[in-house]
Parts: sequence; structure tokens; C-alpha cells
Amino acid sequence: MKPTPLLLVGWIFLATSARAAESVDYVREVKPILTHHCASCHGAVKPRGGLRLDTAEAALKGGKEGPAVIPGQSEESPLIAAVLGEGTSERMPLKRPPLSAKEIDTLKAWIDQGAKHPADEKPDRQASVHWAFVPPTRPGEPKVNDGSWSRESIDKFILARLEQANLRPSPEADRLTLIRRVSLDLTGLPPTPQEVDAFLADSGPEAYERLVDRLLASPHYGERWGRIWLDQARYADSNGYSIDAPRSIWKYRDWVIDALNRDQPFDQFVIDQIAGDLRPGATLVQRVATGFHRNTLINQEGGIDLEQFRVDAVYDRVATTATVFLGLTMGCAQCHDHKYDPLSQREFYQFFAFFNNTDEPEVEFATPEELKLRAEIRAEIDAFHKNLVMNHADVLKRERAWESTLTLDYKQALAPELKDAFDRPVEKRTVSQERGLMELFLGQEPSLKQEYAVLAELRRREPKFATSMVVSERQKNRRETHIHLGGDFTRKGDTVRPAVPAVLPPLSADGDKLSRLELARWLVDRRNPLTARVTVNRIWQAFFGAGLVETDNDFGLQGTPPTHPELLDWLATELMDSGWSLKALKRRIVLSATYRQSSKARPDAAKVDPNNRLLARQARLRLDAELIRDAALEASGLLSRSIGGPSVFPPQPDGVMKVGQMKREWKASDGADRYRRGLYTFFWRATPYPALTVFDAPNATQVCTRRNRSNTPLQALTLLNDQAFVEIAHALASRVLNEASQDDEGRVRYLFRLCLAREPSTREAQAMERLLSQERAEGASDDGESAAEDQAWLTAARVVLNLDEFITRE
Amino acid sequence: MNDPLALLQRTRRHFFRECGVGLGTVALASLLGEGQVRALSPSRDERFGSKPGHFPAKAKSVIYLFMAGGPSQLELFDYKPSLQRYSGQPIPDSFVKGRRFAFMDSFTKEIPKLLGTTRRFARHGQSGTWVSELLPNFARVVDQVAMINTVATDVFNHAPAKLFVNTGSTQFGRPSMGSWVTYGIGSESRDLPGFVVLQSGPRGPRGGAVNWGSGFLPSSYQGVPLRSGGEPILNLSTPPGIAPGRQRRALETIGELNREHLDATGDPEIATRIASYEIAYRMQTSAPELIDVGGETAETLKLYGAVPGVPSFANNCLLARRLVERGVRFVQLYHTEWDHHGTPGQTLTGDLEKVCRDIDQPCAALLADLKQRGLLDDTLVIWGGEFGRTPMGEIREHIGRNHHIDTATMWMAGGGVKPGITLGATDEFGFAPVEDRVHIHDLQATVLHLLGLEHTKLTYRFQGRDFRLTDVAGKVVDKLLA
Repeated sequence: MKPTPLLLVGWIFLATSARAAESVDYVREVKPILTHHCASCHGAVKPRGGLRLDTAEAALKGGKEGPAVIPGQSEESPLIAAVLGEGTSERMPLKRPPLSAKEIDTLKAWIDQGAKHPADEKPDRQASVHWAFVPPTRPGEPKVNDGSWSRESIDKFILARLEQANLRPSPEADRLTLIRRVSLDLTGLPPTPQEVDAFLADSGPEAYERLVDRLLASPHYGERWGRIWLDQARYADSNGYSIDAPRSIWKYRDWVIDALNRDQPFDQFVIDQIAGDLRPGATLVQRVATGFHRNTLINQEGGIDLEQFRVDAVYDRVATTATVFLGLTMGCAQCHDHKYDPLSQREFYQFFAFFNNTDEPEVEFATPEELKLRAEIRAEIDAFHKNLVMNHADVLKRERAWESTLTLDYKQALAPELKDAFDRPVEKRTVSQERGLMELFLGQEPSLKQEYAVLAELRRREPKFATSMVVSERQKNRRETHIHLGGDFTRKGDTVRPAVPAVLPPLSADGDKLSRLELARWLVDRRNPLTARVTVNRIWQAFFGAGLVETDNDFGLQGTPPTHPELLDWLATELMDSGWSLKALKRRIVLSATYRQSSKARPDAAKVDPNNRLLARQARLRLDAELIRDAALEASGLLSRSIGGPSVFPPQPDGVMKVGQMKREWKASDGADRYRRGLYTFFWRATPYPALTVFDAPNATQVCTRRNRSNTPLQALTLLNDQAFVEIAHALASRVLNEASQDDEGRVRYLFRLCLAREPSTREAQAMERLLSQERAEGASDDGESAAEDQAWLTAARVVLNLDEFITRE
Repeated sequence: MNDPLALLQRTRRHFFRECGVGLGTVALASLLGEGQVRALSPSRDERFGSKPGHFPAKAKSVIYLFMAGGPSQLELFDYKPSLQRYSGQPIPDSFVKGRRFAFMDSFTKEIPKLLGTTRRFARHGQSGTWVSELLPNFARVVDQVAMINTVATDVFNHAPAKLFVNTGSTQFGRPSMGSWVTYGIGSESRDLPGFVVLQSGPRGPRGGAVNWGSGFLPSSYQGVPLRSGGEPILNLSTPPGIAPGRQRRALETIGELNREHLDATGDPEIATRIASYEIAYRMQTSAPELIDVGGETAETLKLYGAVPGVPSFANNCLLARRLVERGVRFVQLYHTEWDHHGTPGQTLTGDLEKVCRDIDQPCAALLADLKQRGLLDDTLVIWGGEFGRTPMGEIREHIGRNHHIDTATMWMAGGGVKPGITLGATDEFGFAPVEDRVHIHDLQATVLHLLGLEHTKLTYRFQGRDFRLTDVAGKVVDKLLA
């Protein structure tokens, strides 16, 4: 039986009075208190006030203000005054919860008994006490009073906390809200009216389960969850920095979509991306997966130190790996030991060593026959160039003369390889650069028209293949890894070998042959306390707006503790026990009563839980940037449902491409490619697609694990006026006019059903009908191109596409 | 709604916390009744989305003239007779040994030689500030200006260096200065973005949008480019074929239906959305009015050398004044191109002269115009690039100068800056500071200070750490303060 509060107080009191007499063991009782509460600011790294409290000796020695502990005199010891808030400084620990009375008494008793401690005490790196560094174990389900609410084990963990706070969960959302919510969450697309009708017509007890299973099996599931993963992979279609040349790595994007669709076990998903190339007998597909770490930026600016930017890319790989899988801010240890977490600078470079011998090739998607054909044609091109020089003795001289007439703008606009030819001495040009320039010269030289025609035909016949950027392990000239003093790669410190941080379990393999493959396996080893927790937390975040650990990218000492630690561990062990099936885990979450709650405001709950951390309701979440486009395309009937392939160019406003240094072209795609889902939009890092960034799509320059959800006038301008959305509104209006019954009422109803999955309320319907009649009074469009009726419905369609509800998952 | 007042208060907090654009209570007023709003809005500033800083500010707005490419201080401001005397001599080894520069390859050929400027220098104004013949108009206003000849930075390639000057870090993902400022103190403009970017010159600045990105801050703080030619703000105009009346009615119905849904769900985010649409609608009027400089007097246009409808740096300087007049907090102008390697288009002769002509008169006009309108006292004007140039020549087709991180010249004026001073001195060749070195982080700390912000306290927690514009460094340069 649990003690009642009153009894508990008495119990503490007894314990306290016993304390003074009882001998206190420093190592077992005192040190954990100091480590837990004090050592993050008063530790080895830049201790505040010069005071360290990570050993007893240090506490006795004290800091700038003198000793913190005076043996035998707890009343006089500044440490005690500080934790009580009675000293000259503010109450310690600063801005953190105070010590419990029991802890303070333990400290007092220890001091009064002479502050005894072992002579050879070493600072504890405090790892053993931080929850996230202890592997999760399967917790039992908590007891709840209301036995009827829960549908899944998840619900018991949520309900137990709600009951502690005297809160009731919210009622289940209505079925229309549910189908729109779960469709958007699992596939990123709103339900069609037919899907809604089918769901409403299914009165069986497992109708919702059937819906969920259909959505999980949809090929669009991989697009929705792939996009979330691509944020973490910092995927984009260009190199970044000032030149921002296009790159080809969409095969990696497609691999992610496919892997998620076939529910590749998450541990294998990780290993393929970190070290697919090192797997025994690695397949082309596994090599493509290593594109994960080729999404780093490439600086092609003139005059750079290539090594500097290579090292920058490796830094990024370290930081990204630690953030995505471990939820650790390891990047902080690049210049110095981590200030809060037990990660030393040496450990940062040991981790860095795993990635320091990667090369950066591309793979080609060609059959052996195609490769053979290409080799033959290239031999012919080779012969062509040799003959050209032989037959026209002055051609090189003429080409050089032509070069000297070129303007800077012309050179800047060339492909990077050719542009580079002008940034180096002529004698240092590569053969391919020389030939490339010669071919440009031929193309504009009337007297060599015939020769050019021969060449152009060869070039036309030369097979071209899709390529994808991948990582491979360097075999020759392997690099030694040094600590970079102060994070400066030109200041080399000690040599280090690959290793993982000591605070985490060791690698299974050891010895000299440690590679990314061992690292990848270690990331998903059951003993790793972080990867599964971090992963389930991000999934939770996608379904509820915030993770159980709110700082999803910091599970270290500065992160927020989990709101439901047992649930986090339950989910983490569930993921691993299910063979790392992401679909199985998501299924459990969306089937839970917690997930199915209404998202309506709960003033009663907000009083005790203003940020809804206890989940007495679902959250209203504005859709991600890509999904806003997808939902609009789907509602209008324009959406192309094809999956994968090279990125596409939907219409965007004029002038977007002007802001970069290089003038890149944006020619809007025609046909179905004009209406592809948002994740297929070509993403230039220097000039990103505005309708994506305005809705908080990340800029793909570094890992993004959680997007902002801002709410700005520029978003309003985009939905109201952007050409792409106006085009969609036109299509939506025609669809309503063509497909719905002929009366306004039926059409408004259909418009709402297409966009919001529900029918309008009476007041909403009245507002729409008022709008329609006013619009009709305005007559035909100014340019006379569109009839009054079309114009009226265009306005109506624009209104619904601009509703807050339309861009929100309720 | 059960409790509109509570909702309003919460929403207002949300506005002031989350929205960098000039969100005000005006939109809310129409939502919830003017009277209630007044009762909650004691100060004028707060009504317009402006927030108090850490202490009273000297400057209310910033106009930052970013000279993209890295202007040569040795041709413009930092007068070095010794460099001219020893021109053509190899630079003493002690200066360059063990150092890294851009285009290092060229160093392996021969030891770089000192390059004296061919430009004539003179002292100007009562302050006796050195300015070269390349900036004759600017030379007439130097008594308003604090010249800083010792600005040091960390990185020597264009894109990372621009990022560093703008965000205090060479790593991507950090907010730019304008984002930090609008995050810190909001904006006084009701119907224009708080952080506006203008561009001129033959191409955009390297790195593009990251230069005015909001990094991990909400995207509402990111710089909004006002475009020259076409629409000033992307998607500002009502789409072709849609009459203004239809747009207005659409907005009215959107507002009505959103209010219905706000009642049904009680989510204050919807109130913000309603306000966003009202402000967007006002921007459709205010932004075209802003960029139409046709209403300026002929005298003013002549002062700047601006021609209505013709994009130029001069036009942008005039727009910058109009923006700060309207309460916009941070205006950043980029002008390319200031790279002087000695290649065609980048010479220290004709090309430098051209870019100097582009900016000389408008810079002088901007200071004079701000002053005569009484705006200079609370408008901070900053001029500078991402790094300086080497005292050694760089031999390409012509002789130019390489990128240089040790020192560069920047100037500031107005907004609490001490006028008519020259801060800092470099060695005899102008290679490095010998007194009063001002690192970029110091400059950033000083800019924030002038705006009433303590740079160590303007922080944002991200990935478990409190980040700031000045990273882990920066000291306010007291000598620059009036």
C-alpha cells in the first residue's frame, strides 16, 4: 500500500533526524547528489566561479570565493547556504529545481561528520546517472483507475499521468476528423470524398483498423515519412555555397521512399545509410543508400582550400550522425570538451575518424551493354579530337583567340568544370576541359560547321545515365586523424583512432579494422541506449507535435527530461522487439485512444498543463510545407501520383532565381510533372522554392530534426497569390462545377468535402452562398476571359484553400 | 469563445514572441473589439509589435550597406605611403609565413610583392579623415562618420565570410543579424516586414538567401527581399485576372470562416492566422506605395542620383530611407561587385572606379538626407564588405589584390555612433592592425548595443545550447559610442 502524504511527511522527518547520527558514505550518497545537481556548471570544463564540485577535494579547496565546504561546520559552509538559497548568491542550482530536503540533509550530515572522502577520488563523468545513457528496459504497464478508456498499452502510460494531474482525456474526435488526420499523418494526403464515404459506410468494429492498414500499405506512406527523414539527411538538389551547381542524388531520395514503403527494419535502414558500401557484397542499392552522407554541401568557389571544405563536410557528418541517431549535440565538442555532456574533444575526433577516410564517387545506373556502347562512342570522340588537330593545324590557336573574346558573364555561366578551366593556368587544364572548350568553340564557328555536325551526332549517341552520389571507403593514401586544436584543422594535435564515446557501450568489434560498418552496427545495437529512444521520440513528435522528450535533438544533460519516461522506454523496446518495424510502431500509436482524441482546446487542462505535455487532447498541427501543396493538388484533382524520379520544376514567381550569385534557370515543368508532390520539387540551396521555405521547409544546409511552424503574412500572400496555387484554385473550381450537383448548396458541400473532408455548417454554407451571389454580381473577369460563374467559383475555391483548417491537421 | 480576453492576451504574447513582421494589435482590434485592445496596450511601441530591449537604445533602425566581394581598403580609406614607397618589393617573410590565403596556389610560384595604390588620398572635413579620390562625394560627409580601419574576420572565401559577418558563424543554420534584431526588439512597422533586403549590382551576393536567413529562429524573422523590378515582394500582387473587389471579398470570407473555426476549436493560432491575412492585405497597398519613389521631390531624386523605375544602388538607398521612415527595423542593402583580383571585370582600375561611382553619391546622399530629416540620430548606417584586401598584389591578367582577413575598413554613422573619428591603425603596409583591432564579433556586439541589446543576453536555445549572434566572443567597442 502506498503511504498517504501525511504519513510520508512523517517518514521523511524520521529519516532526517536519523541522518545526523547515521554515518554518511560520500561515494554512495553524497557524490551522486553533487554530480547530479552541481557538476554540469561546476565541473572540469570552465567551472563557474572557479569552483569545482566534482570531487570532495575540489569542494574543500573551493573557488574564487573561497572553500565551499568547511568540514564539521555545515552551518558555515557556503555550499549549504547556496542550496538553501540563503547565501550571498542566488539559490543553487541556478535556474534548475532545488535539491530536496533529504538531499540537503545528507550534505549537511556529511559535512558535520568531517566531510570524509576517499583520498584518490576521481571526477565521475556523471554518465552513470543520466537516464538517457542507461539502456531502456521494458517497463510494466501502470495501473489506471479508468479501465475502459485505453485501447493500447500506450494509453495506460498517458492516462496514469493524466489521472495524477486529475485530468480526463478528451473525447474521441469525430470520424471525419479522424480520417483526415490519420490520412495526412500516414500518407501526407487528405482523403478523397470516396475514401471518406467508404470509411463512414464501414460500420464494423474494426473499420478504423482497416483504414489504418490501408494507409500504411499505400505507396504514399513512404513519401510522407521519407520527407521527414530527408530533413534529417539534409537532402537537396544542388551543392550550396556561392556556385550552387545542380547535383544528382535523387536516387537516394527514392531509396528512402522505397525502404520505408517496404518497411525495411530500421536497424538495416541505418546500416545501409552509414555503411551500405562496406557490407559484404554490397549491392548498387546499398551503395545508393550511403548518399545519406553525401548530402553535405560542396564549395566550388574559386581560391578555396579544398581540405578545409572536405573537413567541414566530415564535421557535418559527425554532427549529423550524432544528432539523428544518438540525439547528442556532439558538434559542441569540435573545439573543446563538451560543456555539459560527457563527450570530450578527443572523443569527437575519434568519432570523426570513422568518417575521415571516405571518398566521394558517383554510381551510374547503366547496363553492361550501355557501358560498352558508351566506351565505343567515347573512343570515336577521342579519335575525332585527334583528327581535328591533325587536319586543322591552326584550330587550337583559333580556339584560344576565341577564348580571349569571352566575357566574364559567359564564363560564369559555364558548367563548373569548364568554368574552372579559366580559374587555372592554361597548362594545368585537364584534357576534358580542353576538349570541352574546343567543342564550345566548334559549335559557334561557321567554318567548322561540318566537323561540328560529326561531333554533335557522336555526343547525341553517347548514352547518358542517371547517377547518384555515394560514399566509399578510401583504400590508398589513407588519412590519419588528428585532434584539431581549437577546432582548427590546420592545428593538428594528437593522433586518434576510431572509437565511440566512453559514456556509451563499447563497440562489439575492436582492433585496427574498425570501420563505418562497425559504427553503424553499434548505432543499432540493442545495448545502445539512445538510437531506439531517439527514433521513437521523433515518430511521436510527428504524431503529436512534440516529443516525449521535447528537445528531440538533445538527450544529453541539457535536454528536457521525458514527460513519460516509462512510455518512452516502452516504445523503444517495442520498436526493437518488433524487429525494428517502423510501420508496426506507427500502427500502435495511431490506433491508441491517445492519438484519437479531439484536438479542441481544453481550458480546464490548460490551467494545469498549458503546453499540453500531458496530452489531455490531440494537437492541431499546421501541415508541413510540402503537404500544403500536396493537399491542394489532391483536392483540385491535379495531383500526379507518380513516385520518384528526377526532381521537377513547378511554377514559381519570377525573380526567385535572381538572388543567387549564379543565374540558374527555372523552367516550369509541363504536363504531369507540373503537379507532383512537394517533395519532388527541385531544391536549390541558394535559391530555394519560396512556397516551401515560407512554410518552414528547412534550408538543407544542416540536419533538421524538427521544423518550426510559423504563421506569417508571407504565407497568406503565397496561398492567395502564388501562381501555383491560383492554378490549383482554377482546377478546383472547375472540378466542383463539373462533378458536383448543379445547385450552389451541393457544390459548396462538395468543395468542403474535397478540401476539408467534412460538410459545411449552416453558417459556413450561408457565408459561401453570400460570397457567390456577390461574386456573380461582379460579372465576368476584367479581361473578359472567364464567365461570371467561373469567376465566382474561383473565388470560392480560393477561399477554402486559404482557410486555416485547410492547412491544418486537426 | 469562452474567454476572449484570456485568448487575446495569450495571442498577443504569441505575436510579440513569434512574429517578426510588423504584427500589431490593429488586426486583433477588428477581431475582438478596439476597446479591449486599447485597455491592454498602454504603450505606443507595444501596439506596433515593437519590444523593449535590455536598456534604452540609441538607434531605432539599421541601414546596413553590404559591399559584397570585399572592397579594397587600401584604395579607399587606409592610406599607406610606405606601401607606395616599397611597391614591387617582396613582402617580408614574417608577414606571410605559415599563413593561409585564398588562391594559395599562386603563392607557390613566387613570393607576393607589395602593391602601392595609385590612388591619391587626402584628408577631408574638420575631422581630417583620409579618403581617396575614388569617393569624392562621400569625402564631403566624413564628419558624420566613424571610420574603422582595423576590422578583422575569420575566413577568407566569399560565401563563408559573408555568412560569418551576417551570422557570427561560418556554420550554416545560424540566424542573421537582422533576424536577431527583429527577434530581440521586433519592429515598429505595422504593415511591412521588420527585416528587409535590397539588392543591386550585376549579380546576387554569394550564398544567396542564407545571408538573411533566420536559421533556427522562426522563419517570421527572416529577411524579406524587396525586389527591384516586378513585384517588390513575392506574390504581393493580386493574381492577374482577379479584380481587387474579388480579392477583398475573398479575404473577408476567409476571415469570417476562420473566426467560425476559432470559435469551434479555441486555438489561438487561428487568431494569428486571421491577423496574418489582414496584414498581408495591408502589405498589398503599403509595399507598392513604398517602392514608388515617384512622389519624392526632384531635388531628393537628384541628391541620390535615383531615377524612378530604374533599379540601382541609388534607388535602394532612397528606399532604405523610406523604409526606416515607416518603422522598418533592419534594412540590408547588397551591392556587388567588389572583388578585385585583377581579372577582367575585377580590376583595380576601371572596374573599381565603376563600383565606386555606383555607391559614392548615394552613400553621401543617404547620410545627408537622413540628417536633414532628423532621422540620422536614431538610424545606424553601416558600410562594409566581408573582408579586406591584401597589401600584396595578385597577378592575374592585371594586378589585383587577394582576399584578406586581418584587416578591412568599415564605417558607421548615426544611431549613437561617435561622428568624425577614425578608429584603429594598421602597420606601415596595412597588413594587420597595430591598435584597436575590431573583430567582427566586436562589431556585432556594438551594433546590438546601439539598439539597446546586450549581446550576451540576446540568446536563443537550440539543440541544448543558448546561441547568440556573437557566438562565444565579442566586446562592445566603447570608442565608437557617442
